[in-house]
Amino acid sequence: METTFNEQDSIRVITEMIENSKSRIKDNSFFYLLWGWLVLIASITNFILLKMGYFNIAWIPWPILMFGGGIVSGIAGYRMGKKAKTKTMFDTTMAYLWSGFVITLFIILFVAASGNISWQASNVLIIALYGLGTFVSGGILKFKPLIIGGVISWAIAVATLFVPEIYSLLMVALSIVVAYLVPGYLLKSKEKNQGHV
Amino acid sequence: MFKELDPLLHSQLRLQIISLLISVDSAEFGYLAEQTGATKGNISVQLTKLKNAGYIEVHKSFRDNYPLTQCNITPKGIAAFESYVAAIQEYIKK
Repeated sequence: METTFNEQDSIRVITEMIENSKSRIKDNSFFYLLWGWLVLIASITNFILLKMGYFNIAWIPWPILMFGGGIVSGIAGYRMGKKAKTKTMFDTTMAYLWSGFVITLFIILFVAASGNISWQASNVLIIALYGLGTFVSGGILKFKPLIIGGVISWAIAVATLFVPEIYSLLMVALSIVVAYLVPGYLLKSKEKNQGHV
Repeated sequence: MFKELDPLLHSQLRLQIISLLISVDSAEFGYLAEQTGATKGNISVQLTKLKNAGYIEVHKSFRDNYPLTQCNITPKGIAAFESYVAAIQEYIKK
């Protein structure tokens, strides 16, 4: 076979192999949906508790749900990493993006908890950060709904400055729906159509 | 005058392997076998040749008690692949 291998064959082999490895977008919708639902539930529960007058414990849903989400994500990420037979630039970029996201999120929460900025201001920053995460990952995945969700999140972030503080929680919920849940379900149905894992 | 084609890359299976590795950070042995359709013995031989030339790195470890071989392309391998593609383009133009 090697004797008949010519330049045309080389080109064919190269394009074939590169095509094979590039069309393997992994199932990421799981994380968008998991975090989308957790944040949605946490922000709405927080809002309801405040409305009912439980000011001291209104924040409780956050640590519980976020801690649970962290554990589930960690296990799911570990399992997916074990199943994956290749590691692409795409995986590495996503890992850096989302770990940077989490660190920035903690810094914002820390600054808010220390009393240096109001919870409303921190919600504005957090919504803007959600927008950044979706916008960039949409660009990497070349998936428009995520990019659009990111842009809408930024608009919601600015709008949040002008609502009464307690409603900024509902703005967080809204941004999660447009930036994570809607694109997450669209991504899931797209992966299904492609016959993907 | 045409450039000499790198004999190490001008072979179907080795070129397949390098082309697969060029687009990923690292790939498992099983993935290479699956994508190229070649036998494991043959792939193993070609990997050793590419490794000895410094075009790829091979890391052997274990996962769940099974041996796991992972390969990735080196900067030298990328350079070799690029000049191979450039050489091929010259041939096509002729």
